[in-house]
Amino acid sequence: MTPPGTVPALRLSHVSVAYGPRRALQEVDLEVSRGEFLALTGPNGSGKSTLLRAALGLVAPTIGSVELFGTPLQRLSIRERAHRVAWVPQEEPLREDVPLSRYVLYGRYAAHGTFGRETEADRTLVASALHEVGLADRGTDGVFSLSGGERQRAVLARALSQGAPLVLLDEPTTHLDIGHQLDLLHRVRALVRDRGLTAVAALHDLNLAARFADRIVVLARGRCVADGSANEVLSSELLARVWGIDADLRQDPSTGLPYLIPRRLVADRPVRPTPELLGPVHVVGGGGSASVLLRTLADGGFELSAGALHLLDTDAETAEALGIPAAIEAPFAPLGEATRSRHAELLRRARAIVVAPFVVGPSNLANLEDLRAFAGTVPMFLLDRPPISTRDFCGGRAVAAYEELVARGAMVLHRTEALLEALRQGLYARPTAAPPAAGGRPTVAAER
Amino acid sequence: MNPTVSPSAPPASPRLRGSAAAALIVGTFALVVASVLLLLGGGLLRTPVEIPFRTTFQILLHQLSDGALFPNPCVGSAVTSAQCATRVFIVWQLYLPEVLLALIVGAALGISGATLQGIFRNPLADPYLLGISSGGTLGAAIVYVYRIHPGSLDVVLPAFAFLGAAATGLVILAVASGRSSSVETLLLSGVAIAYLLSGMLSLILLDNPFGAEQVTFWLLGGFGLASWQVDAVAFGSVLALGAPLAMLGRELNLLQLGPDVARSAGVDARRVRLVVLLLASLVTAVAVAFTGVIGFVGLVSPHVVRRLLGTDYRLVVPGSAAFGAIFLVAANDAANLVFPSTVLPVGIFTAFAGVPFFLLLLFRRRRSEPMRGA
Repeated sequence: MTPPGTVPALRLSHVSVAYGPRRALQEVDLEVSRGEFLALTGPNGSGKSTLLRAALGLVAPTIGSVELFGTPLQRLSIRERAHRVAWVPQEEPLREDVPLSRYVLYGRYAAHGTFGRETEADRTLVASALHEVGLADRGTDGVFSLSGGERQRAVLARALSQGAPLVLLDEPTTHLDIGHQLDLLHRVRALVRDRGLTAVAALHDLNLAARFADRIVVLARGRCVADGSANEVLSSELLARVWGIDADLRQDPSTGLPYLIPRRLVADRPVRPTPELLGPVHVVGGGGSASVLLRTLADGGFELSAGALHLLDTDAETAEALGIPAAIEAPFAPLGEATRSRHAELLRRARAIVVAPFVVGPSNLANLEDLRAFAGTVPMFLLDRPPISTRDFCGGRAVAAYEELVARGAMVLHRTEALLEALRQGLYARPTAAPPAAGGRPTVAAER
Repeated sequence: MNPTVSPSAPPASPRLRGSAAAALIVGTFALVVASVLLLLGGGLLRTPVEIPFRTTFQILLHQLSDGALFPNPCVGSAVTSAQCATRVFIVWQLYLPEVLLALIVGAALGISGATLQGIFRNPLADPYLLGISSGGTLGAAIVYVYRIHPGSLDVVLPAFAFLGAAATGLVILAVASGRSSSVETLLLSGVAIAYLLSGMLSLILLDNPFGAEQVTFWLLGGFGLASWQVDAVAFGSVLALGAPLAMLGRELNLLQLGPDVARSAGVDARRVRLVVLLLASLVTAVAVAFTGVIGFVGLVSPHVVRRLLGTDYRLVVPGSAAFGAIFLVAANDAANLVFPSTVLPVGIFTAFAGVPFFLLLLFRRRRSEPMRGA
């Protein structure tokens, strides 16, 4: 936020905006420091564009005030505003073709007004703006001849040529391919870094927002609901509450920044089968062999547990992302007593056990051998593709353990679909040993 | 932004090179002189007396030099001094003012068409589409039919035509200054007002069939009212109203990006819209007052200029004035040439001559210029 003693580039105090009966912004407070790149995000209709338009003076707040570099907006003439803030709209509908350099020169209007004349200095500014956006050699081309990505960069150049220290971008990447999205935001980022520009961009793509912006502000239904760095703001809870999605949040190991993988709408969370017929399905995995399986079973509505996994292992991360209880061992260490007893506890509670096709080495051989005690007591399914003989790095001990499990009644399967089918039949076929706890309906209905 | 500049400010474009501007002025001047010479001197126009080519030329020079050149302009043709005076009168008092009025009105219509198309971002916007001309005709009709004669009819008719046109413009302006009015609303309101006024005019004329003949002049347009006094008034007012319009090229350029973008770049879009509506209505009202409804010039001029000079409104606005002027003089010449014996309303001719030319231009778009939704 703004250090004390300096005037923020943009300050919105208690700003509300209404379009007729619809309230687009409600009591929004926001400060943007100079030299900051702020990403404004939120679902459609959350008020992002309205906030930008209020900052530009294109809509008047019903209450509240907007200040640009310390001066209230309404005290500034339209030209004075244009000296302070420039706008890159979502799309700029041009009626007629215009040579690019002249189009960019339009941005110099505020400097001259009706009676001024463009000078050589303006042409130099236009050339440098075109250079900044990588269109230096396209000045004489018509704007219509530019591709979508170039067009949006041309709009940016026009805004830059205005010479305003604050630039507002309204979903500038919406119509661009992924390459041009990166290119555009990269250029804005460079301008913020090198020229001390302040930028506020409404962005839908949270991964791009996290990657490029210093700060993320989340709007929902016209209110500011989160404000901070990407790591502070992005959480599963927020994604579910604001966007209504289930998403996995990961950390990009090279940048330490969060990135998310959207999974489904919260509304589409599966309703689990009747609870009295179900208990947890336990998945034994490791090394990424169980990640897809865990996801599929979770989507299928099964209550899950997992083990015994190593910390930092892909399967461990998946289990964590899905909130599945798991027995976890320190990285690369052989499975210790504590982990094995925790694993055994999960296995005891399981109504079915699935063994993923994990690679068996000395550090996790115990996973297979510990299963012998359970084979025959609960339904057990071995997913054997690739076959165990290719996964045994324990000199045959894994194969031997496997064969013993099969001998005690474990079922060998090759496809996940077959597993799902077998699980459903297996679980529904067996009557419950213990009566269900009263009121114990751990269904999604309560969560929704 | 202060659009009320000195009336003497020339409507010059910053990018129009001096030589090009000079060529335009010389060319226009040559066209005027040629129009007079060709039609009168060449005997193409049937006048009460036949004036030879040479005499016409000499009369022009005689008058321009205030009698210093060719003290007897009719020398060489055996005419009496009274006959000579008639010829001088025809050339200098009848036909030259007519050509000059065509020039002035053409410029007025061109400039208002260009600026209206600019603020509406619509290629069909035109001073007449908005009902401004219907208002003028209605004003003249009311005077004539209800015999409002506070002074000479020669003064009262144009005055009321002006008032009718200007009042219509002000009504549209009032609609435009409403907070929530979009450009589309405005354009449609103008069209609706035009129909309303046409309806009222028809009603008045139906009730008073004898008024129809006089009113027809305003309905069809013509230069019958031309005189040096009329030209002077028209020139002064068109210059005073048109010059500020011609200065708005940069604002109009930015308005093409939409009112919000224009505003974010420092253009007071609302104010520009109001100023253009006011000035374009008044400049059209002047044209309607003296020449009635001459259609098509305001619509076609900006399109032709855009094809020739590109889309920069700094060029399109003054260019449309120049093209409108030349087009109207040429149309008047052609009308006189083809139908010398009748006073064919020039509005008919602008339509007949202009439409094929306009369609040709539209269909011969350059390849590099894709169609964009209007």
